[in-house]
Parts: sequence; structure tokens; C-alpha cells
Amino acid sequence: MSEQALIRVRDVTKTYRRGGEELRVLEELSLEMQEGSFYALMGPSGSGKTTLLNLVGGLDRADSGEVWVGDDELNGMAGAELARWRADHVGFVFQGFNLIPVLTARENVELPLKLAPIGAKRRREQAEYALELVGLADRAKHRPSQLSGGQEQRVAIARALATDPLLLLADEPTGDLDRASADQILDLLQRLNGELSKTILMVTHDPAAAERAQTIVHLDKGRLGRLEHPAAAPTATTGS
Amino acid sequence: MSLKLVWRFLLSHPVRSILTCGSIVVAVFLLCVLRTTVVALGSSIEAAAANRLVVQSSVSLFVPLPLSYQPKIEQVDGIEHVIKWTWFGGYYKDPQNFFAQFAVDAAATMEVYPEMEITEGSYDAFLASRQGALIGRDLAEKYEWSVGDRVPIIGTIYPRADGGAWEFDVEAIYDSRNPAFGEQTLLFHHTYFEEVLKAEQGPEALAAGVYIMRIEPGTEPTTVMAAVDALFESGPQRVQTTTEAEFNRQFVTMFGGIPTFLSWIGGSVLFAILLAAINTMLMAGRERTRILGVMKAMGFGSGSVFALFVVEAVVLCGAGGLIGVAFAKLVETPIAVALSTMMPGFVLTTETILAGLAVAVGVGLVAALVPAIAASRLRPVEALRAEV
Repeated sequence: MSEQALIRVRDVTKTYRRGGEELRVLEELSLEMQEGSFYALMGPSGSGKTTLLNLVGGLDRADSGEVWVGDDELNGMAGAELARWRADHVGFVFQGFNLIPVLTARENVELPLKLAPIGAKRRREQAEYALELVGLADRAKHRPSQLSGGQEQRVAIARALATDPLLLLADEPTGDLDRASADQILDLLQRLNGELSKTILMVTHDPAAAERAQTIVHLDKGRLGRLEHPAAAPTATTGS
Repeated sequence: MSLKLVWRFLLSHPVRSILTCGSIVVAVFLLCVLRTTVVALGSSIEAAAANRLVVQSSVSLFVPLPLSYQPKIEQVDGIEHVIKWTWFGGYYKDPQNFFAQFAVDAAATMEVYPEMEITEGSYDAFLASRQGALIGRDLAEKYEWSVGDRVPIIGTIYPRADGGAWEFDVEAIYDSRNPAFGEQTLLFHHTYFEEVLKAEQGPEALAAGVYIMRIEPGTEPTTVMAAVDALFESGPQRVQTTTEAEFNRQFVTMFGGIPTFLSWIGGSVLFAILLAAINTMLMAGRERTRILGVMKAMGFGSGSVFALFVVEAVVLCGAGGLIGVAFAKLVETPIAVALSTMMPGFVLTTETILAGLAVAVGVGLVAALVPAIAASRLRPVEALRAEV
């Protein structure tokens, strides 16, 4: 495997048990992803896209195999250690935005910074900077209910960026948005990848969204399928 | 963990928060009032003087004792004073105006009850007046009586032959140094009481309710009690001598199981409110499943989300507790005045206030426990999938 790969997934198997039935979602999957690249994960429902995203983000554990991000092997970490790792290394963007409705945009962005060893003033400055990056500095005091769907998702991206994480993981970030708003979000993700060199892994069903990534990783029944490089970007993915 | 977040969560459902807080207010208010009532019932026991003994009929408190017993009791070693103390049971103008009246041996009463302090009129004037009365401060204020007033009291146990009222002249007003010794009592001369009864009902009507003794310092009460009881072992009326504390305890038990009953009411209210608070927190927990999932994804640990529920419940219930205690404090004086005849010493103690607050916080902690544990165990992946 390449030494430069930021994410290294090795022989990972994941099975869910539902109603007494076992459902194997990932089947001895191996994959590498380079730092600073933008990846789209595609595949039919049940192909294991979100499960892979959750494993790489330290939200879930594989039944077997290894998941490395940088020098950290996530599958061997205890719950509290994994939570701390998530706080330091990952920013999540969800399909349903998942902003906390009782907090303003700025307070939502500040929330993950509460776990960082910084004071209130610095937290506020970082949150305002993150909102500026997504073009919503003037909406800092708005509650989520006062924002459009596209604006909510941009606040969610600002929240994911606030701690300056290594990885940005997005699960269907444009799934609940109209085309124009979706394009704005994809523009933003591309810009974050291009200008800030953020490593982005995005799950999507939308081919148009996937086209924005440098590499499209197709999953099928828990196994790695074909790879595409739609934007003629430098090859950054190695499947095995 | 963010206090701002806790506060916003509380404000996000204002009606629910106000109703839950209100239920805690009512519960803590009731608990404070009920506990104060129970404490007041028992305070006469705690406030009893160790050097006062009471001689009563061994049959019942309501069976009077012969007057001839007094000189015999006075002969017992270790006794400083013996006074007659007879429940009169009358009312002023209307049966609703009921308060305690006692016929007493006036000369030694102040020696036996030093907690009385004459603040208006004079004790000498009371002693010198045949129909003189010594009344408590609360009584004087309630009926606007002052020194020099003539007060008519209708006797129910001892009615006058002509159906009229007994008449007493207010000669002195006392303040009490002991909250358990009420200021709604009227004391008058046993000699006047006997004089009227003898004239209207004959000498056989003369008797004393109980005898109250003050014993000399260093005297062993049990020795005196045994000696007095032995005096009348063979009649005509056997007696039971007890400490004042024991006498008061018997008096309190005349209220039946009221203290127990009140405690049961308090316990039941508390239990009902606890269920309501648990329900509120469970609802809050269910609603926030996805938010908790997001927070956990951000890196908030199990301890943080656990604390989120505990702090929220404690803030909500604690606020209710504070308001409940404040209401109880607000009604303390009116209730104390209303109950002063039956139950002097209705005072909201620091212990009761702290107990009320502790109960409120305790309810919060218990109510938070189930959703807090569930939240801390929640796996972020499952929480993010939740349909709420």
C-alpha cells in the first residue's frame, strides 16, 4: 500500500443483525484514499456506502479488518478514545443537516469547539470565520428555522469545518436540496478541497454530484467496484 | 457541556417546562407546609421543659383530680412548686372564636412557666385582681384586647348558671420566649373558677384538670414521679405522673394518626410528581435522539450527554423547588396565625427549606437518570438513523 494514503481500509467486514437475520454490508473490503482528495462513494442502496463512511469517521466499528486514518487504527479504539479522535480529526455533514434547532447558526458552529482547549473568544472567532468561509457571516444570529435548506447545509458544513479537521465526511449532503442549492453546496465542497486541501469523502446517489469529485468509488454488495476519475484529476485512489 | 444549550432546551418547550416546574412548585410547597405542620405538632414535645412534670388521672386526661391532692403532692421531696392547671374550654362571643383558656394557680405560674415574659400591664395587677386574666400577645392582637378590657367568655364545659358569660379583666399581656409555648392562651385564677363553681354547682364540682410541678435542680424526675404515683396508689383517684414531654406526646397522639397521615400525603405527592418529571425527561430524551447522535458524532462523550440531562432536570426541578419554598415562606405567617391556637410553633425551619430543595433536586436527579443513561449508551450511528 502507498505510504501517502491517508485512509487505509484493510479486509473490512461488517455485518448487521436485524430481526434475527444477519445482513453482511461490507465484505472484506480494502481501499486507500489520499490526503487532500475529494472522493464520491456511489452504489445502490445497501451497497455499504454509509457504513464505510461511518467506519472511516469512527462512528461504528468493523467486525474484522482494520481502518487506518493517518497513524490511528480506529477499530482498536475504545468508545471514549474514539469520541476524542472524532472531535480532533473529523467533520460530518449529514443529509438532513442535523443542526440543533434551539441554537443560532453561530452557536451551532461553535458547538464542536466546546471540546477544543480554547477560550470563548477564540471559539467565537473560529465560528465566525467558518461561517464566512461558507458565505453566511450575515446569518450568524439566525436560528435554523429561519434559514433555507441550502443555508442550513452550509451552516452544517461550517460546523464540520470549525475544528479544522483532517477529514470532511458528507453523507448525501445534497439529498434534501433542490438543484440550485445542491450546486452551491457542491461548489463549496470543491472549493474547500481545492483551496483548503480538505480530504472529502462524500456518499451520494446523484451522478451529477459525484461528477464533482476527483474520484468516484463504486461499491456493490459490500465490495469495491470500479473507480472513475471524472474531473481528470490526479489519480488518488488505489483499490485492491 | 453547554449551560446555554441546557437553557435553550428548557425554553424550546416553554409550556412543558412551566408545567413540570409548576408541578414541582406545588409538590415542594405542600411538602414544606406538611412537614412544618408535623414539626409543629412535635415541637411541643421537643420544647418541653425537663424540670416540669404533669400529674393527671391514670384513667384519662379528661378525668379531673381532687383538689385535696395538691397539699399531698407538695410534701414530696424535690418539688419546688405545684400548680393546678384546668382546661376551661370556652369561647369569645362566637364558638368560632375558640382558643385555649386555663384556670391556674396564679401565684406560682410565672415560676413554673418562666418562658412567659410580661410585656404589658403587670403580673402583680393580675395577682391582685379576682377576675384578672393574663393573655398572650397574639390573642390580644387578634381580638384587639388591651390591658383594662373586660372580656366575656362563654363556658362550654363550665357554663354559668344564668347562661351568661364568665367575665375576666385583662391585667397583663405576655410574650413567649419559646415558639412552642403559644401566645394565644388566656390564664385566669383558679380561685375565681372555684368560687363560681362552688356557688353555682356546689363543692362537689370542684376539681383540677392536672397538676403541674416544677422540680428542684438536681432532682431525678423518675424518683418524684414514682413518689407522686405511690401517694395515690390506693385511690380515690389513681394518678399518672409524666414528664412534660411525655404529656405533650400523649396530647399530640390525641390528633390520631395525623402526623402519619400528613407524611403519607407528602410521600404520595412526591411520588406522583416524580413520575411526571420522569415522563417529561423521557419525552425530552426521545425528541433529542438525533441531536444526541450529532453531538456524539462531533466527539461529545457519554459523560457529556449524561450531564446534559442531569443538569437540565436539576435546573428545572431546582427552580421549582426554590419557587415552592418561596411560596411556603410567603404563607408561613398567615398559616401560623390561623393555627396558633391549635398548633403554636408553625415555623418554616431551615431544615424544612433545605429538605424541600433537596427533594426537588433529588426528583430532578432521579427523573434524569433513565434518559441520561439511555443517552450515554446511545450509539451515534443508531441515533442518527432515528426517525424523530
